[in-house]
Formats: sequence, structure tokens, C-alpha cells
Amino acid sequence: MAAVTLSKTATASVIDLEDVSIGYGKDAPPVLVDVNLSVERGSFVAIVGPSGVGKSTLLRVVAGLHTARSGGVTIHQDQRPGHRPVGLVFQDSRLLPWRRVIRNVEFGLEGLPVSRDERRHRAEAALKLVRLDGYARRWPYELSGGQRQRIGIARAMAVDPDILLMDEPFGALDAITRHNLQDELRRIHQETGKTVLFVTHDLEEAVHLADRIIVLGGTPARVVRDVRNSAGRDGAVFRDQVEQLRSEIADNYSI
Amino acid sequence: MRDIDKPMKTYNKIALSALGVVVFLLAWEAVARSGVVPARLLPSPSAVPAAFLAEFKSGTWQAMVLASLSHYLVGLSLGTFLGVSFGTAAALWGKWDAFQAWVVRMLRPIPAIAWIPFAIIWFGVSEGAASFLIALTVFWINYYASYAAVRGVDKDLIELGYAFGQGGLIPRLFKIILPGALPGILSGLRAGLGQGWMTVVAAELFGISGLGMRMMEASGLLATHIVVLYMVTIALLYGVSDFLFMQVQSRVLSWQR
Repeated sequence: MAAVTLSKTATASVIDLEDVSIGYGKDAPPVLVDVNLSVERGSFVAIVGPSGVGKSTLLRVVAGLHTARSGGVTIHQDQRPGHRPVGLVFQDSRLLPWRRVIRNVEFGLEGLPVSRDERRHRAEAALKLVRLDGYARRWPYELSGGQRQRIGIARAMAVDPDILLMDEPFGALDAITRHNLQDELRRIHQETGKTVLFVTHDLEEAVHLADRIIVLGGTPARVVRDVRNSAGRDGAVFRDQVEQLRSEIADNYSI
Repeated sequence: MRDIDKPMKTYNKIALSALGVVVFLLAWEAVARSGVVPARLLPSPSAVPAAFLAEFKSGTWQAMVLASLSHYLVGLSLGTFLGVSFGTAAALWGKWDAFQAWVVRMLRPIPAIAWIPFAIIWFGVSEGAASFLIALTVFWINYYASYAAVRGVDKDLIELGYAFGQGGLIPRLFKIILPGALPGILSGLRAGLGQGWMTVVAAELFGISGLGMRMMEASGLLATHIVVLYMVTIALLYGVSDFLFMQVQSRVLSWQR
């Protein structure tokens, strides 16, 4: 059993996965094997692959919500005080319905050595970052799906994480809202320089957002491709990149 | 069809409800006055205000209401607190749940009134006995309501707690589980509020001072109009406590759509 190790040594990478193997249950066959992955500080890495391949599970392992069967998971934590190693954004936003927006954003800061004033201040800054600073006093039920996702991002950013983990965060949104939020996320990434590990099954989304794309495939799944990407949003380069990934995944698809 | 499409206006609803009450009282009065039923068996509702004045002037009414209210409040708070605590604990810890499951199954079907002999043996014919019986009734309602409510808390929200460093027992309990279970716990509280009043009367029938005892005394003297007065009193007390509770509840749950 390998839990997440927090290391305080300064390195170029934020997380290092070494020979990680993941499974559910004692005797069940593993879901993911031989995962070796280093995520560089400030990079935007997308993990793609067919559904059920274990993308979300891998993210859950990094978030400390699931323990790897073997191998090493290290997060190189920055020295600065009052922050958490990871900030997680879920597909279903997962706001606490009994807390107003601002208190939802403060949630992860509670339990950190941060004063009440600073907590409020950081939550307000995070709301501003996602452009919802006018919504602090609203209840979650008053928000649209896209706004909820923004609050989810604000909550994760408020803890000033070493790495932002996103589990298909835009998967449940309509096409227009998804498009807007992708642009917002890109802006946030550029403004803050935050390292992002982003799980998606949407190849266009991955090519549009990430500077590096990890393809998972096979049974049990492993890393089948690791591509640098700078295709951007449109044009022939973008379409080529998407097509290449699509055939890559199809080749390794065996069910 | 048009009734389904068009919801009734609020004042129409209130007017209809009021009309229902008036018709009910008039019909009752008519039957009582017609002499079909002997007056001793069925007092007319118009005799109740006079009975109230007499009981109020002698101070009996106030004394009985206060006595019952104190049994009720003690029993209700004790039963609610213990019921919510035990129900929550059983829902949280599987081992504890398994340990107490059969004890609960054996004790649960015994109605509170069946405990009256023990209540008297343990507490005597005293305030304590009445509060004990009320607490017992209220306990089970809250136990099951809290158990179900805590079990029903969205597991994803608990996972959210772990993801944001709030997975320890105390933050998990107070920031996620209890707020998440609150709507269910509150509906248990509300049911207990009503059942509590019913038990008040049953508990006092065997001689503990209060509304129930006064009703027994009056029925012994065939003073049925006084019995009716105290029946109405209980109905009003229940109505008021339920109304107040709903006011509090709608404030506490203002985060719900």
C-alpha cells in the first residue's frame, strides 16, 4: 500500500508517480499498472483515455482519496504556510448546499493556520479570480451549472494548492458554457501559473487546454502515449493532433 | 382538469378551512341541543367557554397547563437529545450499529404506556415518571429519523471533506454529516413534538398533576364540558408548538430551494 508522500524538497516537478499500480479490492485485477509520471511545476497536463480506463482513479490517488496498491506517489510541497498540497475540482461541483457561496469557497481553508480575516480575504480573491465576486452571499441552489463549477474552481484555488486536480470538471455542462469555462481555465492557468492535472475524455478539450497529454489505454491500463502539445484551439494542427490521439486510443482499446 | 391547472388562491383556502370548522361546531351544537344524545354524554361546544372561565378563575387551568408543559419540555428535550445522539451514532459506526441492533429490535415495539408500571416503580407517581414516558416516546421517533437521515447523507460530500482536509471525525460530523442530515433530523423532531403531547395525556392519566389528570377527574364527575375544554387545550398547545417549530425550521433550512 502506498499513500501519498509529501516532500518539502524543491524540485522541477510537483508530483512524481513511480511504478504506481492501482486496483480496487484485494484480489481483483489491477486497473492501472506501471504508471510513471512527473508533472512539471506550472504545466497543464491532461489525462485522456476511454471511459473506465482509470483516469479518475489515478486523480483520486494523487488527491489522497484512494491508496495505490504499490509504487510511490510524491507531492513536492512548497514551503509557504497556509496552503494545501492539492485542490480538487469535481465534475458535479459538489458545493455544500447549506453554505453560502463565500463559505463554500472558505471550506478548504478551515483547519489551516489562517486567520478568519485572511480566510475571508483569500476566498474573496478566489471568487474574483473566477469572476463571481458579486455572488458571495448567494446559496448554491441559486446558481447555474457553469457558475457552480466556477465556485468549485474558486474553492480549490483558495487553498493555494501546489497542484490543481480537475476530474472532468466541464463534462456535465452544455457546449457553450463548457467553451467559456475552458477559456476561463486557460486564463486562470496563465494568470496564476498553477500546475494543473486535468482528466477528460474529450480530446478536443485536452488539445485545446493542455501543453502535455497523457493517453491511458489497455487492460490493465498503462500510459500508452505522452505527447507535448501546442496545437491551440483551431486550425489544421489542432485537428491533426486530435485525430492522432483518437487513433492512438482506438489502437489501445480492447474490451 | 381546471382544478389541477389553477391552484386555489390562499384566501379561498383559508376561508374554506374556517367554514369547515364553523360547520363542524354548528353541527355538534345542533346535535347536543336537539336532545338526541343526553347532555352528559355529549356536551355542547358552547358550554366550553364557560368551563374555561371557571377553570381559569380558580387558577386550575394555568396550573395544569404549566405542569403538563414542564413534563413535556423535560421529556421532549431529553428524548430528542438522546434519540438524535444514539440514532446518529448507530448510523455512523457499523460495529456499534450491529452491537445494538437486536436490543433496539426488542425494545422498539414496546409502546411507552406499557412502561407505566416501571415508570411508577422507578419514579413514583411523580413528574419524573411523566417525563420519562414522554422521553421514551420521543426517543424512538428521533432515533429512527436521525439514523435514516445520517445514513442518507451524500457520500460524495463526505469525500469532499476528505479532499479538503475536513475528514477528521469532528469536522466531518459538524461540517458535513449533521448539516446534511438536518432536514431529516428536523422532521423527526417535528413528529416527536406531536407524539410528545399525546403521551403527556396518557402519562398523566394515572394521577400525575397536569391536563391528563384533570381530564380524568372531570370525567369521573361526568363534567364532560371540562373534558372537552382540556381536549381543546391540548389541541391548541400542539398547534402552537408545531407552528413555532415550523417557523424555526424554515429559518434554519433557508438554504433549501
